[in-house]
Amino acid sequence: MCFKNLPVEFDASGKPFLKEGIANPYAPKDPGGPKQLSHGQIEELLKRNGHIQSVDFDPVTRVAGALSFHSAVDLKERKVVEARSMATLFRGYEVIMVGRDPRDAIFITSRACGVCGGVHSATSAMATEMAIGCVPPPAGILVRNIALALEFLYDHPLHLHLLAGPDYSALIVGATNPSLLARAKKTPSLKGSIHGYSTIGELMEDLNPLSGKLYLEALHMTRVAREAYVLIAGKYPHPQTMIPGGMSTTLDLTVMNEMLVRLSQFFDYSKKLCAIWDDITEFFYDANPEYKKVGSRRANMIDTGIFDLPDAYDATYKNAGAWGEKRWATPGVIVDGELVTTDLHALNIGLEEFVEHSFYEEWTGSGQRQRYATDPAGKPLSPYHPWNKVTKPRPSGQNWKEKYTWDTAPRWDRMSMEAGAYARLWNTAVAKKLPDNPFIESTGHSLRIRLPKGRLPETEVEWHVPKDNWNAFERNRGRAYCLAFTTMIAFNQWIALMDRVKIGDTRTSTPFEIPKTGEQLGVGFWGAGRGFLTHHMSIDRGAVSNYQIVTPSTWNASPTDRFGQAGPYEEAALGTPLLEETDDPKAFKGIDILRALRSFDPCMPCTTHIHTGEGVVTREINTCACGVDEPATV
Amino acid sequence: MRVLVGGIGYRNLKDHSIGVSVSDRLMELPAPEGVLIEDASYNPIALVQRLETGPVDRLVLVAAVNRGRAPGAIGYYRWDGKLPSAERIQGAVAEAVTGVIALDNTLMVGRHFGAFPEDVVVVEVEPVLEEFGDEFSIEVSSRFESLCRLVMTLATAPVGFDPPPIAPLGGGEAVRMA
Repeated sequence: MCFKNLPVEFDASGKPFLKEGIANPYAPKDPGGPKQLSHGQIEELLKRNGHIQSVDFDPVTRVAGALSFHSAVDLKERKVVEARSMATLFRGYEVIMVGRDPRDAIFITSRACGVCGGVHSATSAMATEMAIGCVPPPAGILVRNIALALEFLYDHPLHLHLLAGPDYSALIVGATNPSLLARAKKTPSLKGSIHGYSTIGELMEDLNPLSGKLYLEALHMTRVAREAYVLIAGKYPHPQTMIPGGMSTTLDLTVMNEMLVRLSQFFDYSKKLCAIWDDITEFFYDANPEYKKVGSRRANMIDTGIFDLPDAYDATYKNAGAWGEKRWATPGVIVDGELVTTDLHALNIGLEEFVEHSFYEEWTGSGQRQRYATDPAGKPLSPYHPWNKVTKPRPSGQNWKEKYTWDTAPRWDRMSMEAGAYARLWNTAVAKKLPDNPFIESTGHSLRIRLPKGRLPETEVEWHVPKDNWNAFERNRGRAYCLAFTTMIAFNQWIALMDRVKIGDTRTSTPFEIPKTGEQLGVGFWGAGRGFLTHHMSIDRGAVSNYQIVTPSTWNASPTDRFGQAGPYEEAALGTPLLEETDDPKAFKGIDILRALRSFDPCMPCTTHIHTGEGVVTREINTCACGVDEPATV
Repeated sequence: MRVLVGGIGYRNLKDHSIGVSVSDRLMELPAPEGVLIEDASYNPIALVQRLETGPVDRLVLVAAVNRGRAPGAIGYYRWDGKLPSAERIQGAVAEAVTGVIALDNTLMVGRHFGAFPEDVVVVEVEPVLEEFGDEFSIEVSSRFESLCRLVMTLATAPVGFDPPPIAPLGGGEAVRMA
């Protein structure tokens, strides 16, 4: 039984049903868990204590998109007492999609992001496949897997060394924690034989933004991944070959070899990044164990799994539990560090979205009927489930007690969950459901990844489930290991696809038609570089009647919910000690809070987009930073 | 002399798509020798990497950008190449790798990474409409043909022949109005 808070039980065959005798089974109930102080309490503290001050990051820089963050910090106690995450723009794809041909969704929703457009295209294609009953051929599934793996090979280095990496650079550590930089210069690295740096100080120098070798190398590696991606996806970031029923890619040996030349460059790069982020993490832990609390929160996370096995994936909702568990990255939900389910049906029916603190109107109540009481398998659905959701934007002034963000509050079993590449690792490591392969092994507590010889020798890296420390450092370390994991998944797919090409099985798509009568439901369960991604769609007489997207940053940037539970960014900031070496409020930069936030790899374009009264949108259409100059140097 | 003419902007964003509409139109015409025309809106970092492997002697970039000029006004200048603070450049790189397509961040990123030639000519159009759609405002559409001619003139002008004024990012007071 995986639900503790929803009124759902399971019969002897494992089928879930609503508990009997409850008049309003989905009525809000407090599931417990950490709570924010009320804004009234914060105001009182601000009045009484001179050492408590508001610190606003608007925008939070070096993240994708428009994120603002409000906090109140106690500089005497060195802690955060209030944290509010604000998505400052409206996304609107849910509104744009209604009434359109479902095939448009692949190309329109791709524009939700300027980094990971392909994942939206793929998720949309899968939602359509499910709705219309179209199964891609094996080569189509393999090409799709490779394309999206390549997109992650673009995404992870970008985040690690261009966005989050500078937080650990000599430039910024020297400005916020000079004694730490001095220590780093004298501290030998643990894995210098792999990454080439003899001291942590040298490593930090090369993490410097704009000029550091690691910063520049990451820029180069994004090119390598992008080049491989366009060979099969046609264009980056918005692919031209994703379709329901597979991919329209033309396969031949030249394409395969060109891909391999680029993919194989990630064998060594993965070894290097794992070693670098091991060294950074262990250095900070050793220098001050309080760093283990930076960005810490409950290990509650959710992931849809990703990368289908051709023999398993049949595009049906009915069998989603079975094909989901055979994915290369296992779907799952982690609650307080324990895996509670790997079943995509359980994951789906436990999903709800709340808007108490969001600039939207409630869609339940007011006599509006619940559209679907059950999913297509007859399992109970909440009125707050995406298939039942109606997007009703209602812009208003910002008010901490009421509404303050364009993000919604997705919850699973009424709990605040986070999404990320590391959730993919965690589920896969614990579930032990990986397909047989020569490169990746799931041990139940770790993932062992064998990276082939490049310039560096063949190397096995091992990511251990960090049960005791769930924090900003482990998020970054996990992302580095996810680069190795994704590289070897891509290589496994490449080998399987090559076997198909050798026998002439290069058919990558299945023809399909959109039904012009009746109603169909579909959901794409996929993942972005940052984790969990779903597109829920309903089609009515050939046109989209509802479309709902839940992205990783929808989860992570979510506001405090109706139960008073903080969203993941908020909770992580609240758990963060202020270790910056300053007692001067004017010099305070909030680096520890920023490390906590950036460790999630925020991607606000997927979460929100600008909307003006007239209808649209300027340069922020798939962008970041809103054109506002950076207010601080960190 | 190798010249790259690049249109910059998002498609289907009314006046904000003028840059790529210009490059689309010019690509339909026979290109003068040594002149390459591209939709250069594929990401400033990718543009840097493209120019690193295929350097040019002159770069002409055309885009819509809000500068507070008269609606539909066309201004052009040769960029002095002076960069803003490291923080702003860092912000421009972060924007670039996460999907922002805009003239100023393209210029900052390209110059910072040393991929641009000394001779960078910028052509800016003051937009009126900022909405989804493939039509321009009257102010912009009425000047579209002359804009295309201006861009080609700037691309093919011999070095030193009636050069555009040198101006900082954004054009400032020195910008020449067409």
